[in-house]
Amino acid sequence: MSTLVYMKLLEQTPAKYDRGMRVITLGRVDRIKREIAAGWVEPGHSVLELGCGTGSLARLMTERGADVTGIDISEPMLAVARDAAPAATVMHLTATEIERLGESCFDRIVATLSLSELSEDELDYVLHASARLLKPGGLLVVADEVVPIPLRQRMLFWLIRYPLAALTFLLTQNTTHALRGFERRLEDAGYRTVSTKPYLLGTLALIVSERA
Amino acid sequence: MWNVLKDIWFLFGRLFPYPTRPGLRRIGDPDRSSPVLVTGNFELTVRTVIETLERDGIDAWLLIAPSKGVNVWCAAGGGHFTTDSVVSIIKTTGVEKLVDHRRVILPQLSANGVNYWAVKERTGWKPRFGPAHIKDFAAYIRSGKQITEREHRHVSFDLPERLAMGTNLGFNVSLILALPLIIASFWVAGLWWKTIPILFMLSVLSTVLVFWLPGKIGVQKGLALGVLTAATYALVAQTALDVPPWSLVGWSAWILAVSAFVGYDMPSWSPLWRQDAKELILGVRTTHVAIIPERCINCHLCDIVCPVDVFAHNPETKKYEVANLDACEACGACIENCPTEAIVNNFREGVCACPTCLAIDGVSKLAGKSRKSRQPEPSSCTEGECGCD
Repeated sequence: MSTLVYMKLLEQTPAKYDRGMRVITLGRVDRIKREIAAGWVEPGHSVLELGCGTGSLARLMTERGADVTGIDISEPMLAVARDAAPAATVMHLTATEIERLGESCFDRIVATLSLSELSEDELDYVLHASARLLKPGGLLVVADEVVPIPLRQRMLFWLIRYPLAALTFLLTQNTTHALRGFERRLEDAGYRTVSTKPYLLGTLALIVSERA
Repeated sequence: MWNVLKDIWFLFGRLFPYPTRPGLRRIGDPDRSSPVLVTGNFELTVRTVIETLERDGIDAWLLIAPSKGVNVWCAAGGGHFTTDSVVSIIKTTGVEKLVDHRRVILPQLSANGVNYWAVKERTGWKPRFGPAHIKDFAAYIRSGKQITEREHRHVSFDLPERLAMGTNLGFNVSLILALPLIIASFWVAGLWWKTIPILFMLSVLSTVLVFWLPGKIGVQKGLALGVLTAATYALVAQTALDVPPWSLVGWSAWILAVSAFVGYDMPSWSPLWRQDAKELILGVRTTHVAIIPERCINCHLCDIVCPVDVFAHNPETKKYEVANLDACEACGACIENCPTEAIVNNFREGVCACPTCLAIDGVSKLAGKSRKSRQPEPSSCTEGECGCD
């Protein structure tokens, strides 16, 4: 029984996950998704979404006229995504297997709060693999928690993030991880940063980079 | 110093995730023919695996797959150590550049989340399920056999592990029951601080003594321990302490009740029994794993992945059969790995209409106890493809 109590407490559901992401970003995640769909995706674009979750961004992008492929490893999430974004192709695939999707075949690769779920090895692998997947001039659009490098900003980051993460965990038993040294990893994988837009005093960022 | 603190934490908080960095580790001095094995990224697991392999003088490549900081078996059951995790760790560590072979040894207890056929298809590597416990790894690898010896597939619940799980059980039930007990202490003075040590002691005793207590696993063994403990208390209280008779009766009954509760809760902390209300309260088996004979293609995998030896080979029909249903704890490893969906688990619900069973079924349903087994995609395979000798 006691193990069951903890299991129930920690059980993840798609609805609980979405709620958690809203709390930890203080609602910014929805706004960022709308910005990505409106500002970085054009009609007719071929878009790959890494970690499409419940499909809210995939839906926005298909509504804008893009041809969207969404991948995720959580079956419960994928089931919700199939209903939420019927025009998108949604499939079970790990981010480390995306080379199966082809070569130089996407105009955009987008990832919101999903790259930070990967281990460091996985992240490097996925960045290299995604660079090969993008058409020349294609963009990688990432919205995630990014740990800043300057000390003062870094201290501010943890000061804001820890209470938010604690609150989120209390309310929804979800948490996120933050990307460290992300810009250097992007460079190593052959990307050139086009634009960086900070949110929530720099704890959250929308980073757009181009395949160099 | 840090390791000692960690060890103390693992005596009480083993249930909580404790992640360590995923990736590739060299064990000893591995070369291009050394074995490649996989584990999850739970700190205690990784430390035990590395220490055991180094002690046994094994040279190997260890792949630590991200399992959310949870131990292999629980993570596999909970969907955190899956085929995806194995595929990902093989690809991202670049281990294929370090060895000439393409054989990867998976923990046997990951079979409830990792599908043999899918790993093979998606990575091109040939998976093997190794022994259930890392202490048997040296014997397994030195035997040179591709499948593990039968005794190395069994999960055990040895005394040191029982002691550790007993302290964990005590800590966690105390944590959960602390608030209700403190509230109840407004009516019965001192109830909470007297009950918590009783709860803790009975937790450790019920786990350590589980094989020696009479009765069936669950409430029966709990009651047996309760009778022993209450009798000891009554004897001491009557001879050495000056306890009024009504208090003596009250506390004896309370000890019995607490012990029955602990007896019911203990199995979920063991690797040998599953948490099922009917089974643990009434002693009725509700698990009913069965093989559909027409579908069995004799690939041996169900037998290889079963940690409690439920299956047996019938040499006449050349098929597998359920031989030891009582041992089944419904971990789902056989169902996950059967390539032809020949194994089914029919929970016997509603077989009994007595008020107790109805109440238990109702509570179970309210708790949302619906088990959905993940069925693998059926794939064609020929006899012996899994690499058995």
